[in-house]
Amino acid sequence: MPTTLEPTDTMQPVMDPDLDDAVFLDRPWVVLVWNDPVNLMSYVTYVFQKLFGFSLEKATELMLDVHEKGRAAVASCGREEAEMHVFRLHEHSLWATMEHDGPPS
Amino acid sequence: MALRRKFVAPVEAVRGGWRITLDDEERRLLVRLMGELRALLTGPDDNELLRRLFPVAYPEDEEKEAEYQRLMREELVASRLAAIESVSRTIDPAGDRARQLLDEGETIAFMQSINAIRLVLGSMLGITDDESADDADDAHSPEHNLYDFLSWLLEWTVRSLSPTT
Repeated sequence: MPTTLEPTDTMQPVMDPDLDDAVFLDRPWVVLVWNDPVNLMSYVTYVFQKLFGFSLEKATELMLDVHEKGRAAVASCGREEAEMHVFRLHEHSLWATMEHDGPPS
Repeated sequence: MALRRKFVAPVEAVRGGWRITLDDEERRLLVRLMGELRALLTGPDDNELLRRLFPVAYPEDEEKEAEYQRLMREELVASRLAAIESVSRTIDPAGDRARQLLDEGETIAFMQSINAIRLVLGSMLGITDDESADDADDAHSPEHNLYDFLSWLLEWTVRSLSPTT
């Protein structure tokens, strides 16, 4: 039976210092949100405001990117922070992924 | 759904909290849906209906994805179950009827759980792109009507929670 602890209290960052990370340590991770026709536009805008503290204008702009371009980058940061963002977006059932910013050179 | 509902917000920010205006039948329906969502979440992991509730974090890295799911999936299930328990407790017409007002956390749990059910229904109804979403708008099966009811409820909930700036 799973516990009902607050997820933010118990989240463990993934510690995985593999070669990929060592080589591309300086490149940030980018958190992407992808379009899902089930999610309401107002809901996506609200979640962006709540989780990232964006203004209504900024959150709406990103939501429209998701809706019209299929995806939007909502954060660029270190891996642990990116995983936390992805988890919180998943809690709100938004289709979020993370990847290294830019292709490996 | 009664026509008057169009003119009474089902979820409204008021002094001291969030007021839910739903009749007993609607509340019982939501409690039942929460039970079904709970059963789905505590059932087999590989149920296709759960796909939208547990998205892939690392689509380009199988190893990191496996590790992320190993560490985070249980947390996500726990978080969803906690939200369901909150909704079941605060919405149930057979429960504490004195609870007319929800606090912000309970309202957010309500919002998240309603949306989770919409996502499961969306998968059941084959809504995968804008075209199938438009088709769903025109369809009138009982499940489509339920989906529309939840969308209406979610829209009002989001509106009641949204900052205005």
